[in-house]
Amino acid sequence: MIFLTLVRRSLARHRALVAGLAVLLSGFQFLLVTIAVNLQRDGLYSQLAALMPPFIQEAMGGAFSATFGGTIALGFFHPVVMLSLSCAAIYMASEPAGEVEDGLVDLVVARPVPRHLMVTRSVVVYSSVTAFIVVLMFLANRSALRWLAPAGAEVPAARLWWVALNLLAVVWCFGAAALALGARMRRRAAAAGAVALAAVFLYLLQFAAAAWAPLRPIGRISPFHYYEALRTLLGLGTPSKDIALLLSVTMAFLGAAYASYMHRDL
Amino acid sequence: MATAIRTESLTKYYGPVVALEALDLTVGHGEVYGFLGPNGAGKTTTIRILLDLVRATSGRALVDGLDSRLESVRVRARIGYLPAEMPLYREMSGRAYLDFLGALQRGPIDSAWLRRLLTRFDISDVDLRRRLDDLSHGMKRKFGIVQALMGHPPLLILDEPTSGLDPLMIEAFAETVHELKTEGQTTIFLSSHVLSEVERLCDRVGIIRRGRLVRETSIADLRRDTPRRVRVLFDGPAPTPPARLATALRRRDTHRWDLEWRGPLGDALEALRGLDVADIEIEPFRLEDYVLKIYSDARGARE
Repeated sequence: MIFLTLVRRSLARHRALVAGLAVLLSGFQFLLVTIAVNLQRDGLYSQLAALMPPFIQEAMGGAFSATFGGTIALGFFHPVVMLSLSCAAIYMASEPAGEVEDGLVDLVVARPVPRHLMVTRSVVVYSSVTAFIVVLMFLANRSALRWLAPAGAEVPAARLWWVALNLLAVVWCFGAAALALGARMRRRAAAAGAVALAAVFLYLLQFAAAAWAPLRPIGRISPFHYYEALRTLLGLGTPSKDIALLLSVTMAFLGAAYASYMHRDL
Repeated sequence: MATAIRTESLTKYYGPVVALEALDLTVGHGEVYGFLGPNGAGKTTTIRILLDLVRATSGRALVDGLDSRLESVRVRARIGYLPAEMPLYREMSGRAYLDFLGALQRGPIDSAWLRRLLTRFDISDVDLRRRLDDLSHGMKRKFGIVQALMGHPPLLILDEPTSGLDPLMIEAFAETVHELKTEGQTTIFLSSHVLSEVERLCDRVGIIRRGRLVRETSIADLRRDTPRRVRVLFDGPAPTPPARLATALRRRDTHRWDLEWRGPLGDALEALRGLDVADIEIEPFRLEDYVLKIYSDARGARE
């Protein structure tokens, strides 16, 4: 009962962000399918592939990015999509720091609320909300394909599910990092800002590492390194190992968050 | 009397800053205890340790015999807390705010008691529907008092409860404290800078300074032991004081004596019998004078 009350309150506080992001990212799926259908109909994909410099193709996962299948799946690996979902998770997960900053812990934790519930609440909220948005994106993608695309022109649903899961694993990893920091800090902007900045840096690092061989060893520290969406879409393997690794890092961050919050002065 | 609150050598350091130093405090069940001290003395830190919001560096705090650190959830289930600075979910209505905090209690909220509190603190249905952010400071404070009291907890910890309230609401608050005191089921730990309020409501006071408890006494003892200032005015020249009054004489003027009298005033009046007294001015006991003296003595000692 207490836990559900905390979850409901947190969801209510984040509802505008959740609704806005869900509409934007689901709408983007429809837009991409519309674009892909038009490019296909006008026979522009071969020209597009020829125009794209090899290093860009490499950075985006290969020539598949300039195909019908690549375009309709772009809504799952476009940098703006990945970073906006990551930032939403980071913001929601940094709620414990915000509650200390605003003094709201004095109201909530002064009641018979076990401390660990505050962290568990944030884990549940940020992970379920981002999962909800990704599921909506998936459903929007499939619906748009069914209504707009010519028969047979689509990416197999199972591959797109793996991509969606892999994307969620990346997003959850950043959320957990924000929670680990937010459970220690007194200022939400500092906790969320630091992790959001790190997410942008790590994306750029991975982008550079994919295009320039000498950077590749360093690129491994980026969670985006473990998200090869085009490889999955082409059916070259399932990303189960990458997902397992990302979830392990997520668990480590969550462990740190619990440990910090249980011992800190609020 | 069984103890509701006990601290044993409670110590808290924030880095090199000493917030509390070996604080030993005892508050009995059903008592109204005034916890006083200048800003930064350690009052809020003590309260936050009792609530397990802050962890002590050493020592321990007990509420109803339960360790506030080790059994914090059980301890917090017994406490209604009003923080000095009222944190709010600004986007919530007053009703939603009380419902939310009520749902975090262990037991159900007695709706008749809640309605009585809302009526007493003049919170209307319209106020309950308004966003908290749109309410005045005093109205927010009233919601704060109601949320602390609504669970009918056996221990109330109130930090600056009447700050920002109008005189009518201060009276409503005092009435509530008296009612709870009469029932005898609630212990009230009250921190306030409004010393007239503390004097009126509290059974005992503890004065903390720089993290240490410097005085602890009952208001009744203070009234009995604190010297009363008595000014005796004469129609003619002031006579030589009789032996019973001589030790109390602090100042002698041509037409008056200034006395500091300890004990029952009847003895002083008896000693004045037969003298050509024109008027007598007796200053009432004021906790404020006592506390300010302790604060200024402490400042003097520091300088």
